Amino acid sequence: MTEDYRMVKEGKGAEYWRWTESRWTNPDLDWKQGEVVSAGVDVGSVSTQAVVMVDGKLYAYSNMRTGSDSPESANKAIEWAFEGTGLTLDNLKATVGTGYGRVNVPFATKAITEIACHARGANFMYGPTVRTVLDMGGQDCKAIHCDEKGKVKAFLMNDKCAAGTGRGMEVFADLLGVHINDVGEMSLSVEEEPPPVSSTCVVFAKSEASGLLREGWDKEKVLAAYCSAMAHRIVDLLERIGVEKEFAITGGIAKNPGVVKRLAKELNIEPLPTDMDTQIAGAMGGALFARALYLKKMKKK
Amino acid sequence: MIEMFKEWYDARHEYAKEWKKKTGGKVLGYFCTYVPEEIVYAAGVLPVRILGSHEPQNVTEPHIFAMFCPFCRDVLAQGLQGRYDYLDGIMIAQSCLHVRQAYTSWDLHIPSEFSYYLPMPHHVQSKRAVPFTRAEFEIFKTRLEEWTAKKITDDDLRRGIETVNRDRQMMKQVYELRKADEVPLTGLEAMQMVVSSQMTDKTEHARVVEDALKELKGRTIGRPTGTRLMLLGSENDDVEFIGMVESLDATIVQDDHCTGTRYFWDEVENGGDPMDAIAARYVKRTPCPTKDWPERKRIGRILSFAKEWDVAGAIIIQQKFCDPHEIDIPAIRKALEDAGLKVLFLELDVTVPVGQFKIRTEAFLEMLAEDDLF
Repeated sequence: MTEDYRMVKEGKGAEYWRWTESRWTNPDLDWKQGEVVSAGVDVGSVSTQAVVMVDGKLYAYSNMRTGSDSPESANKAIEWAFEGTGLTLDNLKATVGTGYGRVNVPFATKAITEIACHARGANFMYGPTVRTVLDMGGQDCKAIHCDEKGKVKAFLMNDKCAAGTGRGMEVFADLLGVHINDVGEMSLSVEEEPPPVSSTCVVFAKSEASGLLREGWDKEKVLAAYCSAMAHRIVDLLERIGVEKEFAITGGIAKNPGVVKRLAKELNIEPLPTDMDTQIAGAMGGALFARALYLKKMKKK
Repeated sequence: MIEMFKEWYDARHEYAKEWKKKTGGKVLGYFCTYVPEEIVYAAGVLPVRILGSHEPQNVTEPHIFAMFCPFCRDVLAQGLQGRYDYLDGIMIAQSCLHVRQAYTSWDLHIPSEFSYYLPMPHHVQSKRAVPFTRAEFEIFKTRLEEWTAKKITDDDLRRGIETVNRDRQMMKQVYELRKADEVPLTGLEAMQMVVSSQMTDKTEHARVVEDALKELKGRTIGRPTGTRLMLLGSENDDVEFIGMVESLDATIVQDDHCTGTRYFWDEVENGGDPMDAIAARYVKRTPCPTKDWPERKRIGRILSFAKEWDVAGAIIIQQKFCDPHEIDIPAIRKALEDAGLKVLFLELDVTVPVGQFKIRTEAFLEMLAEDDLF
């Protein structure tokens, strides 16, 4: 349990929106035995991930909140991913920067869009049968069609407004005083599904939710109404491009069963399961591209 | 010479004011490319197209319905802000409701000595469209004669045709050069060439294009052409947007825009009765979607352009709320995709959200790229 989470649990007034940061090292791999160590760094609007791969296998990653400075967030993320491994930047053969801050990753070999990286990462995470990837990020939402190699065939992004994205969920967690990690499960505990809030615009939805609370709705019901509105909005986006099987979800909202279960029900398609952290898909795709870039360069020599 | 187009584009108002001072002639601002410039040239009047400036503004809200397109709003703003105060007259040829609203509102708030609404027919595919248009053009000619107090003869009309045709022919030659593997000019430069021809005296413009042609024969754009793209949509003179696309190892090599080929590609067949010929040209030109019905004739040309200019993908940029174009997009997208071309669709407002468009454009270009990272 992280410090933030514990503070919330113990009622010590931490901020409810602060989702849990994490890092991980693969205990079964030794990077020193590998040939190509590559990295992907996904500097998103809300979160930053660094993934280190050894010969195309997941070796280590970190997942943390993005600060106000993109290069610094990238540096912090890679340092945290390196923690305890003995790795330094010098050991990386190639790095791909992706995400909103993709051009601000100081040690990157190349910048590639998060659209390409999420498709590639989802292909690795969920296998080659994935044809539709839904990335639900902090400030935008992307529906991507890809082939068996994880190459993008078509994509669609939400326009102009961050409604129905991670940041909106954070605002709601704060408003209701429910830790963001618990929002999904809580929203599913309602006996009867309430109608969705009429707007997913964060500002309008927030005032609507305040009104519902005043009317005597409990938190669970308000969360259910918001998660359901978010699921609706995402289904709208997905239907514009069409959902081809298999279907997989990446990004932070993939961890929110309140949205995912409602989404699956509306689409009548069960998303593929994974035991990996869905937030690292973009950085993972980046690390795989970085490896391919390095091998391509070697071949040319 | 090619820099001249950008200079004219940037200093459109100074050019027109200077022209007036030099010639003592009248300048007529127009709102749509269905205006028969040949007749305006025959009258010795300089036609200039009124375009927006792509800046945020706060003057049009009381005058234009909220769900009309950003372009018509931007155009009207130019008038309300006094940027076209040198115009002696304004006119429109019927195309869409939104830009007509900009025209009528302009007419209401900014009085000028000449204002003309030309009812260009929508059903250009009707066999009665040419005689109808001809009759309307005759009425327009008479009104111009009254305004300038000068008779317009058939010879004047023929000269008008020659002037406009000459510029068209020159620009088409420049477009031909864009078929090369390594193009000699960027899409932005080509756009500025075409749009500046809507803002300057075509005799002078054609001369500069002719000189530029010589210069272009040995020119490069200083980088590889990269991914060859085609740009489709209504009017697009969004410098920032085109510049952004062309900063990503891609070049726009062909277009279907009324600030591009739709404006100038089709010539008037000079020879017979000049008014018949002019009317036939505007009826048969590559149509704007407001008139491309029931058959969608534009698609055939888009496809042949895509093939001849060897484009890898097309970007459709859409003015928000432009219903005529919106209706066409599914059909155009399908035709392009059936021909094996990828399509990126973006919706424009007065100002471009460059960051948001950039990520989409980059991802689109990655999609078009080779498979070597897989």
